[in-house]
Amino acid sequence: MEIEKGKTYKYLREKREVSQAAKDNLKQFIKIKKSILDALQESDLTIEQLTQKLNMPANEVVYYLMSLVKYGFVQTGAVDDMDAYFSYKLKK
Amino acid sequence: MHGKIMNASFDALVIGGGIAGGEAALNLANNGFKVLIVEKDLSIGGKMILLSKVFPTLDCSACITTPKVSEISRHPGITIFTGSEVKSISRKSETSFEAVVIKTPRYVIGEDCTGCQLCEQACPVLVHDQFQYNLVGRKAAYIPFSIASPRVAAIDIENCTLCGACEKVCPTKCIDFTQEEEEYCIDVKTVIIATGFNLFDPLKIPRYGYGTYKNIITSMQMERQLAPTRPFNTILRPGDGKVPDRIAYVLCTGSRDMTVGNPICSQICCMYSIKQAQLLMGALPMADVTIYYINIRSFGKGFEEFYDQAKGMGVNFVKGKIGKITENENGNLNLRYEDINENVVRESEHDLVVLSVGVLPNTDSKALFHDGDLKLDPFSFVDQADPLASPSKTSIDGVFVAGTATGPMDIPDSILSAGASSAEAISYLNRRL
Ligand SMILES: Cc1cc2nc3c(=O)[nH]c(=O)nc-3n(C[C@H](O)[C@H](O)[C@H](O)COP(=O)(O)OP(=O)(O)OC[C@H]3O[C@@H](n4cnc5c(N)ncnc54)[C@H](O)[C@@H]3O)c2cc1C
Ligand code: SF4
Ligand code: SF4
Repeated sequence: MEIEKGKTYKYLREKREVSQAAKDNLKQFIKIKKSILDALQESDLTIEQLTQKLNMPANEVVYYLMSLVKYGFVQTGAVDDMDAYFSYKLKK
Repeated sequence: MHGKIMNASFDALVIGGGIAGGEAALNLANNGFKVLIVEKDLSIGGKMILLSKVFPTLDCSACITTPKVSEISRHPGITIFTGSEVKSISRKSETSFEAVVIKTPRYVIGEDCTGCQLCEQACPVLVHDQFQYNLVGRKAAYIPFSIASPRVAAIDIENCTLCGACEKVCPTKCIDFTQEEEEYCIDVKTVIIATGFNLFDPLKIPRYGYGTYKNIITSMQMERQLAPTRPFNTILRPGDGKVPDRIAYVLCTGSRDMTVGNPICSQICCMYSIKQAQLLMGALPMADVTIYYINIRSFGKGFEEFYDQAKGMGVNFVKGKIGKITENENGNLNLRYEDINENVVRESEHDLVVLSVGVLPNTDSKALFHDGDLKLDPFSFVDQADPLASPSKTSIDGVFVAGTATGPMDIPDSILSAGASSAEAISYLNRRL
């Protein structure tokens, strides 16, 4: 096939199958990202509040939430009176 | 599957681009020799480039590594292959070797990538970031880390869904999915092994609960949390995002322990734990930090003073051997330990536990040599054929060893070892040229 610069992914698509695990991982991230961003749309939340709202293990909330902070979707808000837990908010 | 085989020749092949390999390559190149560094990772710099600060001076690790790494990258006498591995080395003549090197595709044309990260922003895939020791995610199109050298994007093809989003946004059109594995046949006169060390995997001690209890991390994960390019905004427990205030260190995790097959001392864990404890006291002034140890081995220059400094800052040292770690409902951890001084069993509660994991040998280089047998020592590090008179000589004439490939050591000793190794290689080359 003719290879067009800027569209070379099409070339590899012909030659290589994307694994089911990679497709499942993408689907899961899209779902979790949406649920976290939707939850934060309503109000700023702590990890504990997100854990309860999303019914997701707290360590997974930490991992995904911190990744969303890293990529600029979410930002860290205020810390509680005990200096123990931060709240998180959407990055405007 | 790979494209055409390419030929090249160099005076020296350095396997591993950590601080030891980089230093050895610089010394050789500064003496007029042509050097090839083969690094299996996407960046040179080894573990040092990922550290926070260094003991016993508390200098910023990145501030020392970055200029060094940039000197290595820019040196006209040094060629660097990242994402590459040596497949085999065989003796071609009395004065030369032939090395077969495999370069895996990065799917990015390095020279054209500006490191703008637009591909990273556009990529929809999130996977664990290995350079942050899995504390946070990264994209399938990614710059390994901000001070990586080269600071060039790469595509993680195993996790890429070939959606094309990265390619669409790349301003220089340098993403190239047509790249294939390349094989090089390289003629070299001498070889330096600088493949470094592996970290002990704490999953091998199930009674510590690493992996099951999410608020137990390794010292390398803490190193990342303390670094300026940290995964979180501050130090947090990965189990629930709490700022910890009772932190415990478990020294000798996987070292001096016959039950995991490693009887030797890792030499660096006491000191890096004392360093991290001091940094934690600075970052979290209200926190209690306790170090559980069997013996503190502060043998180097300035080390005992550094240990005293930690005690003076309020770090709590307990001579105790950890038996078992269990978790409470709130994610806190109970450490059951033998108080060695009092000879009693005690328990104490902490909200974050750091396992000071030990140094294990990297045996990659053993399988590379076809003709001469590369000897390993009884602990599987590269054997020093003449440790007193010629410490970097291996069992193969013309092959030298540098840094932690030969045994556990800290950065200054790795640099000294690299100096010895390059000096011996230079003298070997001069004798044979
Ligand atoms: C948590 C922690 C904290 C530390 N803190 C300090 C400190 O404060 N002060 C201090 O002095 N020391 C510290 N150290 C020790 C320091 O990291 C080592 O002394 C140093 O990294 C050794 O450098 P090296 O080049 O020998 O090995 P490495 O850093 O391991 O580098 C080896 C390189 O070789 C590459 N490689 C491996 N196998 C192959 C292969 N088959 N082909 C090609 N390339 C390969 C690797 O990818 C890597 O880039 C610390 C270590 C740890 C784990
Ligand atoms: S083609 Fe692959 S690397 Fe590029 S954006 Fe899509 S998933 Fe990410
Ligand atoms: S590959 Fe393209 S988009 Fe990605 S960092 Fe390089 S120049 Fe930027």
